[in-house]
Amino acid sequence: MTGFLLRRLGQSLLLLWLVSVIGFAVLHLAPGGPLAEFTLTPGMTAAELKRIAHQMGLDRPLPVQYWEWFRRMVVGNWGRSYRDNQPVLWEIGARLPATLELMISSTLIAVLLGTWIGVLGAVRRYSIFDSLATVGAMIALSIPTFWFGLVVIYIFSVLLGWLPPGNLHTTGNSSFLNYAWHLIAPATVLGLVTVAIWSRYMRSSMLNVINQDFVRTARAKGLPQRVVLLRHSLRNALLPMIAIAGLQLPTLLGGALVTETVFTWPGMGRLFLDSIGYRDYPVVMGILMLSALMVIGSNLVADILYAVADPRIRLR
Amino acid sequence: MSAAAGIAEAAPGTGPGQRALRRFCRHRLALGGLAMVLLLVLACGLGPYLVPYGPLHIDLGVRFSAPFLGPHLFGTDQLGRDLLVRLLMAGRVSLTIGFAAMLISTAAGTLIGAVAGYFGGSVGAALMRFVDAVLCFPQIFLLLALAAFITPTLASITLVIAATAWMEVARVVEAEMKSLRERDFALAAEVLGASDFHIIFRELLPNAVAPIVVAATLNVARAILLEAYVSFLGYGIQPPTPSWGNMLNNAQEYLVTAPWLAIFPGVMIALAVSGFNFVGDGLRDALDPRLERS
Amino acid sequence: MTDQWDGLLRGAMARAALSRRRVLGAGLAGAALLGLRPGVARAAPPAKPTGQVVIGFSQEPTVFNPLMPHIEVDQGVHLNLFSPLWLPNASGDFVPELATELPTVANGGISEDGLTWRVKLRPGVTWHDGQPFTADDVKFSFDLINNKNFRAWLRNGFNLMQDIKVESPTEISWRMAKPYAPFLALLSWTFIVPKHILAKAADPNTSPFNNAPVGTGPFMWKERVPGDHITLSANPHYFGKGPYLETVVFRYIPDLTVMFTQFQTGAIDYIGLQGITADHYNQAKKLKDRTIVVGPAPFTESITLNLSRPQFKERAVREALYAAMDNKAIIDQVYYGLPSPTVTFLPRQSWAFNPHLAPQKYDPAKAKAMLDAAGWKPGAGGVREKNGVRLAFLNSTTAGNHVRSTAQQLLQQNWRDIGAEMTIKNMPPAVIWGDYFNLSHYDSVMVGEDMMYGGDPDVTTYFSSKAIPAKGGAGQNTMEYVNPEVDKLLQEGVSTFDRAKRQKVYWKLEDIIRHDLPQLCIFQYVTIEGTKKGLIGYQPSVYVSCNTWNVKDWYWGTS
Repeated sequence: MTGFLLRRLGQSLLLLWLVSVIGFAVLHLAPGGPLAEFTLTPGMTAAELKRIAHQMGLDRPLPVQYWEWFRRMVVGNWGRSYRDNQPVLWEIGARLPATLELMISSTLIAVLLGTWIGVLGAVRRYSIFDSLATVGAMIALSIPTFWFGLVVIYIFSVLLGWLPPGNLHTTGNSSFLNYAWHLIAPATVLGLVTVAIWSRYMRSSMLNVINQDFVRTARAKGLPQRVVLLRHSLRNALLPMIAIAGLQLPTLLGGALVTETVFTWPGMGRLFLDSIGYRDYPVVMGILMLSALMVIGSNLVADILYAVADPRIRLR
Repeated sequence: MSAAAGIAEAAPGTGPGQRALRRFCRHRLALGGLAMVLLLVLACGLGPYLVPYGPLHIDLGVRFSAPFLGPHLFGTDQLGRDLLVRLLMAGRVSLTIGFAAMLISTAAGTLIGAVAGYFGGSVGAALMRFVDAVLCFPQIFLLLALAAFITPTLASITLVIAATAWMEVARVVEAEMKSLRERDFALAAEVLGASDFHIIFRELLPNAVAPIVVAATLNVARAILLEAYVSFLGYGIQPPTPSWGNMLNNAQEYLVTAPWLAIFPGVMIALAVSGFNFVGDGLRDALDPRLERS
Repeated sequence: MTDQWDGLLRGAMARAALSRRRVLGAGLAGAALLGLRPGVARAAPPAKPTGQVVIGFSQEPTVFNPLMPHIEVDQGVHLNLFSPLWLPNASGDFVPELATELPTVANGGISEDGLTWRVKLRPGVTWHDGQPFTADDVKFSFDLINNKNFRAWLRNGFNLMQDIKVESPTEISWRMAKPYAPFLALLSWTFIVPKHILAKAADPNTSPFNNAPVGTGPFMWKERVPGDHITLSANPHYFGKGPYLETVVFRYIPDLTVMFTQFQTGAIDYIGLQGITADHYNQAKKLKDRTIVVGPAPFTESITLNLSRPQFKERAVREALYAAMDNKAIIDQVYYGLPSPTVTFLPRQSWAFNPHLAPQKYDPAKAKAMLDAAGWKPGAGGVREKNGVRLAFLNSTTAGNHVRSTAQQLLQQNWRDIGAEMTIKNMPPAVIWGDYFNLSHYDSVMVGEDMMYGGDPDVTTYFSSKAIPAKGGAGQNTMEYVNPEVDKLLQEGVSTFDRAKRQKVYWKLEDIIRHDLPQLCIFQYVTIEGTKKGLIGYQPSVYVSCNTWNVKDWYWGTS
């Protein structure tokens, strides 16, 4: 077990390092730079821009810049944003709650709704419900998230005026209800994709379980369908979903990014997009490392949990 | 649809290919998807010749005509251009990107996966760790970062999309190769002194076609979707050439005043993407006999 | 513009009607009408700061040390937190802020040769933390700008300063290496920062001050939620009139459409920087309880040409392209007739604006004739050629600006009509305004530029032959425009403080540039902004980068 853990940990660290190299290279080699936003301000000149770039150390060779960044990153100093001069971790910390709020609520929707749809679809395989759920899920996966978001805004905010067109809360009103009211639309939009994915996986996982011997045995014993489903099948069907949840994290992060853009949600996705736009390298790298950390970490945890939960899996 | 099913039944095949075809044809959704895709390809291919307006013809006198009311069936855009013909022309662009990106990403993924799976060892490990690393990035990030390098043209956008979509194919092929190369026929070929190249491309890959085809079909859907995302984030195909993505992107501005500008391209994307997804799903069922047992 | 005037006119007519009625002796009714609803139109400002205004910006203010590199929207916040020595008002006259009077040659503030400056400072001003403001702070601010370790915004002008001397706590003096008239304007955009806080910072680039600024302005820093909003509160010890609002919230709404929706629903009280898009103008006008103001903006939209490209070397080509431009269609159709056409780089509100320049006329036949005469003959695909050079070029602008790309597509058609092929190649802002623009890698760009620093018409940076970055020059002449006469005029323009003399120089300069056409000017931008009805005091100005320059004068009318 310890050997397995160490190996997996080593692999994860290597992966993290690879991500940092790829990310840094791609980001810095891309044309454009963080000072372009000042070019058109009155009186600005190329010479002044060059001076500022030099003061910021942007004119040093790339490997030197990477080493400087890496050396500090390892000890927890992730640099400062080029835009507002604040430490990167502080920037991320300030935006993280909004993103988590969105991701957790939409995941909650996905788990509750998706599990229900998936289980029902598996139990009543080939029923109308199952077919509709299949088609629905596939269509949900085929709609561009941002377009769906825009349509939701158009219908529910512009035409009907039921929901706010975006933002975390109304200025000056930070009651729980106000937050919840603002959360409905973005969480639903982001949740749509997650529900679709989750219900599909849930369905096939459930199908696998239902046909296994212990379930047949339980059924043969004459246990009521409810009990068989909930106690025997669902529990076992949920097991592989742990791994799925880990694998879906990048998709969820990407979805959150788009959703945040459409609903002007002041979260990490929005920060990420802005930072890429302004070429705010330290912040982009910070978010990248953090999301890689989350993805790799959750995969690792999922692996371990899975291994612990299912003794049939050999720890190699 | 019933005709197609009838043909399949009238010619009861014995080979796995025919069995797969029959399974596919029984899959109503897949046939529906195929019909949607064919219809779209046909419409985008021939449609523009039937509409009496050019996709670039500007007529400021009829800006923002609403759909279904005048000579412009789907209405006009902010420059008074006919939306229908632009949608169809855009379809050509988007579908081309979808297919081309699929071809490139599938080829690249297959190659990398095959090499990694066949040779294994440190080469395989290094390649697969690279795949893992790229998979760690949110796809949107890769898209944005790569898009920043290029000047957006049909070819470069296709390449960027392909570059963010090859990893899954690589994973699938790697796993498949790993198991196939231990099989008797592969070992036999090796003993007979066949070259690695021969073994990979002649002996092993043909046996891994099924999962590759499924992944490729789903990749077309994904590429069309990704084109929309690239355009939405402002890095897409340049005007005046229309693509579904950049039409949608431009339409945001007019969401309230001319909602049809946003609705039509969105529907087209949803149709095309779900069409390919349906086909892919059907193919998966048809080509993967293991799934049928469950 | 039109709407503002329209509103004023209607207001004046209504008042005239009312007074006539009173005169005619409909006494009671008239008096009742006036008496019942006091101050609907013009309430007096409240005695003490009350109420809150939520300002919507589509860009996020992130730089709060006003001496560090920043953009327009940041200045929108600086103007409320800090004070310069003097500030231009809406008509471009400098109004003393931290200074007691504007230094001039006449009052002895500036010596006859323009080299010695002496500025008297306002006594009794305090920083938001209660510390007194003195001449030391002013000297510290100037020194900081010239500090080689400090990431200062612009050093232009400041690098001419020598012997900065604190004469007394309320007086400062310095010498200039050469007379430099625009310095007055440069100082109007230079906010004074507190020495007692920043001098203590180990590294002024990363001082905590940068996210908790302390100034002398009408409002004080309260909080910032990054990516969302900034809150300021009234400074009770502000030295000037106002402020009348208790709280000002700057809300960041990254999407113009969403920002407009929020203005519609009332989530924001004032829709500021980037404002309402022209597409939404008609819809905005119909909104109840909102005042939409179309005001002048200092930006000139142009097709800026890279004159080092063989296609653009000949003046005849540039003139033909200009004549083939259907300026009216762009303004009327794409921008809903709101901006006004222009042929020069200065806004018409500037005192240096030359009103006698030849207007641009749309005449494709003439354009074709000009090209024919110059020897550009139609070649393959209808694109003209001369000596193997095709009249084909790229045009770039910021990707994602839909309105602009609509205008681009119109121009594309205009120019196709005369045999010139324009290909659109738009790029994200971080790319196009980087080396691509600065080092003249472009063929042509569509850009809205404000060339006036602090409202001064000195454009040496943009048109001097010594200011070409691609040729090692220190400036922003990316068009690579060279004209010795222009160089001479630019020099003349900055060496005298006499506005009348300067005006003559700039008029001539504009005339030459209009003739040479290094850029094809299309129109002067307008800001389409709006407030809730009842918010009084908002006034757009071309002399600042952001219309939140006078929030201290804003208040809610009682209704």
